[in-house]
Amino acid sequence: MRRKGWSWLWVALGTLYFFLPLVATFLFSLKGKKGVLSFIAYAHVFSDPQFVQTFTFSLEMAVVTILAGLALMIPTAIWVHLRLPRARPLIEIFALLPFVIPPIVLVFGLIRMYSRPPLALVTSPVLLVAGYVVLSFPYVFRAVDAGLRAIDLRMLIEAAQSLGARWGTTLFRVVLPNIRVSLLSAAFLTFSIVVGELTLAVMLAWPAFGPYMALVGRDLAYEPAALAIISFALTWGALVVMQLLSRGLRGPTATPGGVH
Amino acid sequence: MTVTGVQVTGAHTARPSLRASLGRWVGLVPFFLFALAFMLLPAGVLLVGAFQDAQGGFTLVNLAHLFRTNILHSYLLTIEVSLVTALGGALLGFLLAYAVTLGGLASGVRHFLVTFSGVASNFAGVPLAFAFIATLGRVGLVTTLVKTLFGISLYDSGFNLYSFWGLSFTYLYFQLPLMVLIITPALDGMRKEWREACENLGASGAQYWRHVALPILMPSLLSSMILLFGNAFGAYATAYALTGGFINLVPIQIGAQIRGDVLHDPNLGYALALGMVVVMTLSILGYTTLQRRAARFTKT
Amino acid sequence: MKKILVPFISLLFLAGIVIGAAANGTQEAKPMALLTQAPAKFNDLVTAAQKEGQLTVIALPHDWVNYGEAISTFSKKYGIKINELNPDGGSGDEIEAIKANKDNKGPQAPDVIDVGLSFGPDARTAGLLSPYKVQTWGTIPENVKDADGYWYGDYYGALAFEVNLDVVKTPPQDWADLLQPAFKGQVALAGDPRTANQAIMAIGAAALANGGSFDNPKPGLDYFDKLNKAGNFVPLIAVPGTVDSGETPVTMRWDYNALSNRDKSDGNPNIGVIIPASGVVAGVYVQAISAYAPHPNAARLWMEFLYSDEGQIIWLKGYGHPVRYADLAARGVIPADVAAKMPPAAAYTKAVFPTLAQEASNKQYIADNWDSIVNVKVQAKQ
Repeated sequence: MRRKGWSWLWVALGTLYFFLPLVATFLFSLKGKKGVLSFIAYAHVFSDPQFVQTFTFSLEMAVVTILAGLALMIPTAIWVHLRLPRARPLIEIFALLPFVIPPIVLVFGLIRMYSRPPLALVTSPVLLVAGYVVLSFPYVFRAVDAGLRAIDLRMLIEAAQSLGARWGTTLFRVVLPNIRVSLLSAAFLTFSIVVGELTLAVMLAWPAFGPYMALVGRDLAYEPAALAIISFALTWGALVVMQLLSRGLRGPTATPGGVH
Repeated sequence: MTVTGVQVTGAHTARPSLRASLGRWVGLVPFFLFALAFMLLPAGVLLVGAFQDAQGGFTLVNLAHLFRTNILHSYLLTIEVSLVTALGGALLGFLLAYAVTLGGLASGVRHFLVTFSGVASNFAGVPLAFAFIATLGRVGLVTTLVKTLFGISLYDSGFNLYSFWGLSFTYLYFQLPLMVLIITPALDGMRKEWREACENLGASGAQYWRHVALPILMPSLLSSMILLFGNAFGAYATAYALTGGFINLVPIQIGAQIRGDVLHDPNLGYALALGMVVVMTLSILGYTTLQRRAARFTKT
Repeated sequence: MKKILVPFISLLFLAGIVIGAAANGTQEAKPMALLTQAPAKFNDLVTAAQKEGQLTVIALPHDWVNYGEAISTFSKKYGIKINELNPDGGSGDEIEAIKANKDNKGPQAPDVIDVGLSFGPDARTAGLLSPYKVQTWGTIPENVKDADGYWYGDYYGALAFEVNLDVVKTPPQDWADLLQPAFKGQVALAGDPRTANQAIMAIGAAALANGGSFDNPKPGLDYFDKLNKAGNFVPLIAVPGTVDSGETPVTMRWDYNALSNRDKSDGNPNIGVIIPASGVVAGVYVQAISAYAPHPNAARLWMEFLYSDEGQIIWLKGYGHPVRYADLAARGVIPADVAAKMPPAAAYTKAVFPTLAQEASNKQYIADNWDSIVNVKVQAKQ
């Protein structure tokens, strides 16, 4: 009982910390008309066709990046866990480097390398997705790695294989459902990064949401606040959808914490 | 009762052949190729500029500049901010995550927190800075509330959002959720039975934590801390928007050299970036050593 | 593990650097050969530009000296689509974008740039520009253009106080006013002095108002030190949001931007724009064509448009003084209503235009000394 009270305290403090800034932003966004509280700033945002266009574009990019990033990272993380733990520090370094390579350096490097045939990727969205996957490395690897740590991977795989399962089945019906929470975290984090990302989208000349938000924030006072609230809500909605879709991943062996 | 993580032992007793050694790296090739093609080489193409002057000739002058007092000071400051928010974010995020996973609360609360963390983890940059200015700035919501309700002026009492601690406080907004997202699966792996068994054997809460829970969680805690450290280390937009570049962080210096309207010494900017890569790599090596020490505790 | 780790990473970085060096070496694209000669007759230029069909511009916000109208008018007039990159970018962004896109003929490569004065000569030396002299070249003042036509001044403005009049009842008229206790916690710069032109010019202007000059910027830094010690200075970048919310109700900006913000606020709140009584600084921006422009003729046509009477008056409508202002005024072609909306001409007579050399020494001094003199440095012990 004492523990519950203590837990509620932390939740209350957390709620205060996280919600007050949002409330303040919301209140400011209602000041679009002098003297009264009004939603005019929101009307301005919604009536802008660029808002829907750019958000949809970033949404699509986010989904592709999530799939590509997971497809690259999950086998890598599993391999490091099972076969080559000695490579872990190397992977760690690679997976943390995107933090310290300034995005402007990365994007200019990508443009320079991939502007000439035979690797003329600069006008294709593939380059943007590749850049986003790089930016999401730290989060995706960390999330998947944390999830694999929490389960007894070796035993799970051996058990599945001794029952005659092949690699595909083992991966999709045994391992992944057990790390569902981490996969969701990885997907959430990647989604947030892509939707808000600015530098790569701007320099590669793509109509993404990040640049749109920056443009609105440059000149106007109340619309950026409205936009911040709206994008918060939209991102929330997208994450809820992701959670619902991932329910399908839950297999019969999904006990939190895995087998022991 | 054994409480072990994955026991990773090389089952080979004889020295593996070169072919077998190389074969073990095969599964990592796609990742390495991708990282090479889309991260290392593009970055390398530009970071080579750290060794060049404006005309393209080779020089070490930019690296020498890195040791100027104000630049060394900015590296120190950036490391300080990153350390403070990594530790603070890790501790507070852990407590929050613990409260909703193992704290006896309804599962809906945990659900909500995890989703919220997903959204908040990247609520950074200008919108975040503005949100905090609107809350704790000189005419912010809380500042005015405190003044009207209690008659206290926060700013006259020495509080200042536009300071090192104000910036760190703001950084927590995306550090905390990141910690929550990463540590929750690890907390899921903590079995209630272990705590109950400890209590049955007469251990106190503190002993449970010191001998059972923390050793198990330590690898995950350490790995999330390095992630938070890196996250704060490279952060630029929030700091610029909140403190106007008056707090001298390295990412802001890099931006000033490569992108701004005033200074324009991109080669120095690339040298600064290279410096950040070095600091990060050293931090990761330090973290790896800590991890290995922590791993000793999980062996029983 | 350590045995392979360190050599492996070093090898990878070395590989990256070597390839980078090689890549740099092979990029000997010859700019002059890339850009064909401009057509001799204007009509041929129009046809050639229309054949190219597109123009890529960079860092041109629509409300910055009314670029929005310039872009849409040009696009409609000639049927050339304009591709806008990075409206939020700074001069450094524009230069780096040219450099990065040397081999790229796609929409990421800018055709034309609009950068701060000091960036012009540097870009020319780096071989990034292609010369072109517009038809009205003769009416551009000598001291704001490159003799060989590589870059040319486009518009200028004076640094003004932008004030939220709903919060500040008595607006400041001069720099000395800002030191008064009435402005406690209210004055901010519109950028970081090491990154933003507006901020560093504000320090230069403060220097002028306090017995200094562009050759001696120290009084400007001392002024901001005093402002900070008086508690009047807010170490926050003033954007429309913070001006309107009252967090930074007083800031210094180019008059054209401040006036544009005033128009956009439309009374919510009331914004006042005041050119200080002393310490008036004017800043010039320059136009140039990229040596690697994918659409060189469209770029040249764009310049012809901007430097025509029509283009110059569009800038004037955006509150920017076009560089051919004297010529336009002398010929009486400025519409009366446009002239009426500008701040009184008297305020500009005292405006000081820093030379290239002065700008260079000024910015280096301020960048090196801002931290120590102003002491807005915040330690962990605070």
